[in-house]
Amino acid sequence: MRRMPSLYGLTFSLPLLAWQLLFFVFPLVFLVALSFWTVKNFTMQPGFDPVNWVTMFARPVFWQAYGTTLALATMAALVTSALALPCAYAVAFKLSPKGQRWAIFLMVIPFFTSYLVRVYSWQIFLSDAGIINVLLGRLGLGPFHLLNTVFATLVGYLTLCLPLVVLLQLFSLIFIDRTLIEAAHNLRCGRLRTVFEVVIPAGRVGLVIAALFAFILSFGDFVSPIYLGGGDPTTLSILITDTTKSGQQWPRAAVIALTMIATLMVVAFAAIRFAYKGRAK
Amino acid sequence: MEPLVSFEGVIKRYGDFVAVKKMDFTIRKGEFLAIMGSSGCGKTTTLRMLAGLDAPTEGVIRLSGQPIDHLPTWARDTPMVWQSLALFPFLNVRENVEFALKMRGMGRAARRQKAEHWLDRMQILEFADRNIAQLSGGQRQRVALARSLVVEPQILLLDEPLSALDAALKVRMQSVLKTLQRETGITFVYVTHSQSEAFSMADRVVIMSRGQIEQIGTPQEIYGTPRTRFVADFLGSSNIFTGTVRHSSAQGVEVETPDGPVTLTGGAFAAPPKAGETATLTVLDTKTQLGLVPPGGANAIRVRVIGEEFVGATATIYLETAQGREIRVQKSHDELAGLPLGIGQELFAHWSPTDSHLVAEA
Repeated sequence: MRRMPSLYGLTFSLPLLAWQLLFFVFPLVFLVALSFWTVKNFTMQPGFDPVNWVTMFARPVFWQAYGTTLALATMAALVTSALALPCAYAVAFKLSPKGQRWAIFLMVIPFFTSYLVRVYSWQIFLSDAGIINVLLGRLGLGPFHLLNTVFATLVGYLTLCLPLVVLLQLFSLIFIDRTLIEAAHNLRCGRLRTVFEVVIPAGRVGLVIAALFAFILSFGDFVSPIYLGGGDPTTLSILITDTTKSGQQWPRAAVIALTMIATLMVVAFAAIRFAYKGRAK
Repeated sequence: MEPLVSFEGVIKRYGDFVAVKKMDFTIRKGEFLAIMGSSGCGKTTTLRMLAGLDAPTEGVIRLSGQPIDHLPTWARDTPMVWQSLALFPFLNVRENVEFALKMRGMGRAARRQKAEHWLDRMQILEFADRNIAQLSGGQRQRVALARSLVVEPQILLLDEPLSALDAALKVRMQSVLKTLQRETGITFVYVTHSQSEAFSMADRVVIMSRGQIEQIGTPQEIYGTPRTRFVADFLGSSNIFTGTVRHSSAQGVEVETPDGPVTLTGGAFAAPPKAGETATLTVLDTKTQLGLVPPGGANAIRVRVIGEEFVGATATIYLETAQGREIRVQKSHDELAGLPLGIGQELFAHWSPTDSHLVAEA
């Protein structure tokens, strides 16, 4: 039997539904349609021609960028999660409630400044005559070529994701039942081993979601690979700008964007499935 | 015989608050010991210090003669069953039970065999591959016991493990625990606030109040001869009379209370109180008689019936003295036959001076 949604329910869900329809479903449908249009003499012609899909998928540069983006985003998700975990663990288990409030406040602060500003300031640190190389030079080391490398891109991704990942991890670790940890210790599980045997499994859903966010943010990011990575290797977001700039190829850019959306959907679905695996419904 | 565990001058402070004041007691090998007291009396802290989850501020705890108070909990063999059970929700029943064996580096096959032995013994082998969330309260209880017992420890610590169960299941689990303890010979240390749990299962009971031990003894000893006024009050099975000592000798004590004089004869007491001091005498509610006339040579107090309560074959009569103090009498229906028990009925509560009992004031 189907239940009619109540008026109360509709009042609150309709605006969201309308918003989603207007700003997500409609543009997505338009993007799909756009990917089948053609460009002649720098102007777009509506139509239904799979030529853009065929062209893009046949280009090695596209698959190269795809592989690079996938690898970089995966690396960013793993490195960010690994660096964030000790921090989230310390805040969740070693700080007093007052200390925790301060730590959370401090981790919200990075969101006050624009990501672009933070990336530009990394340039000052990382460039060949930048702060890091000057300091290392005083010690008789370097100079090291840091800017316009994959390392710098990852630094940018970390800047983007780390505070959010620490917060998400923190909120999953903070709600772990402390007696589970005591019980593990009591059953001969040492301190470090308890982290792997109990803390990570008990906080798995939150930890996976945090890593997923890092992946999503890094996968679509354009700022770090361009301003810190120097655009080399090319990522999908860089490829999109290049494609639109060269010859008004919006339909081809739509193909790239749709491939990215499809990839993120698959990754998000798989991650959430993995997070909840083995849990009672 | 050397005790399995000994507490020697153990003190636990949290800042200015003293949770446990100078504990000195021993736990015998193979006994079922219950530590009982109301909340905040320090019973759980005592258990946690034994488990290594809290460190004593002062004093020494020995296990089989060796001091263990400097060892972290993972270096002791003192598994505990938590009030919340603390089962790992991300592991299934079998993995929960295998956990401690895995930590000891036991191989997969041996681990599985041993876990299955204990699952079978706790009658939950059929649930081995279920998630914890799919089990009932009683089944979880059995998983928690199996998880701790699988390492076959010398001692098992239990922190109010039955408090979340309903009354019927509680009684069933009590007999499961008692049987398990007798069959395995493992020393059980059981913390509870429930007198019925402690007295029905334990070989010896420790009664604690405000961080101190009030009395240690078998349930019969504690019930029959509460050592302090606190214990008599806490058990609630004695009528308590406090007053000034009139006469005192090795043969007996007479105490003048607001309700009249009460005497004790033939009882064993270490040091007779001096005349003029304050003393408290108790008498079990089952040893207190009721009658229309006071018999000669017995303690007798004029009372008025204020209520009665029947549970099964026993009746509890609530009475009030002329001073407005409540006393209770427990009798079988037969013993009360022919006695008028209407509310407001005037009666005499009486008992033999040999049934009186002198308790310490503290």
